[in-house]
Amino acid sequence: MNEKTRTTVSGPEDPREGLEAVVALRRTLEALEAAQVENAFIAGWSWARIAEVLGVSKQAVHKKHAKRIRARYPGEPPERKGS
Amino acid sequence: MIFTRFTDRTRACVEAAFDEARMLGHDSLGDEDLLLGILRADEGIGAEALSSLGVTLEGTREQSEEMLSYALSSIGISFEEVRREAGDAFEMRIPDNRRIPFSPRAKKALIEARKEMRRMGDNYLGTEHVLLGILGNADGIGARILAGMGVTPEALEERLFELRGRAAG
Repeated sequence: MNEKTRTTVSGPEDPREGLEAVVALRRTLEALEAAQVENAFIAGWSWARIAEVLGVSKQAVHKKHAKRIRARYPGEPPERKGS
Repeated sequence: MIFTRFTDRTRACVEAAFDEARMLGHDSLGDEDLLLGILRADEGIGAEALSSLGVTLEGTREQSEEMLSYALSSIGISFEEVRREAGDAFEMRIPDNRRIPFSPRAKKALIEARKEMRRMGDNYLGTEHVLLGILGNADGIGARILAGMGVTPEALEERLFELRGRAAG
């Protein structure tokens, strides 16, 4: 296959496919972050420690995840490990 | 205003579409979510046309999930493995505190729906107009999901007009 025909076939070089992979990855990344933050919380990690590993501020993690996770685990004590 | 002349049923379908989008992890409401909303909340000819062609809510959700999985596999990522590694906490659902906007394709479908309404001389915006609006964009995800289920735009259009004719007596 020469360069000229290669640009006309759809496949990995198809821009739409490439862009749609970005969308799929972004959505999956959001879900993965939510799940792993929740997993760390269940393991007893503090927001500060979670934030440190994620490389973002504690406020950012708290703002994005605390409400959702606290609603799911209402009985959890505020005292966490590593804070 | 985007909802002007919408029937109560069409509004309910748009609401259901937001629910579907949230559940599937769609960070904007896509034209395929409008399709899902119609499948879930419509009792009119839009849903009737779809179901008569074998399009179901479950099947359409599956197609949407398959497209995500396929897109990830095209860059070497297995969605199944990501899910398995993350454990039970993993879910695609968008948290309630995050707002979901209309995607450009969904907006376009609703604008096209209004044009269809005028073209057909109707004074209400029904789910049939929304469906035609979705079909108007062959590159959209809704039309591609339907195509994947063996439903061509022509077949669906024909069925919609048949059902309209019957409703009108």
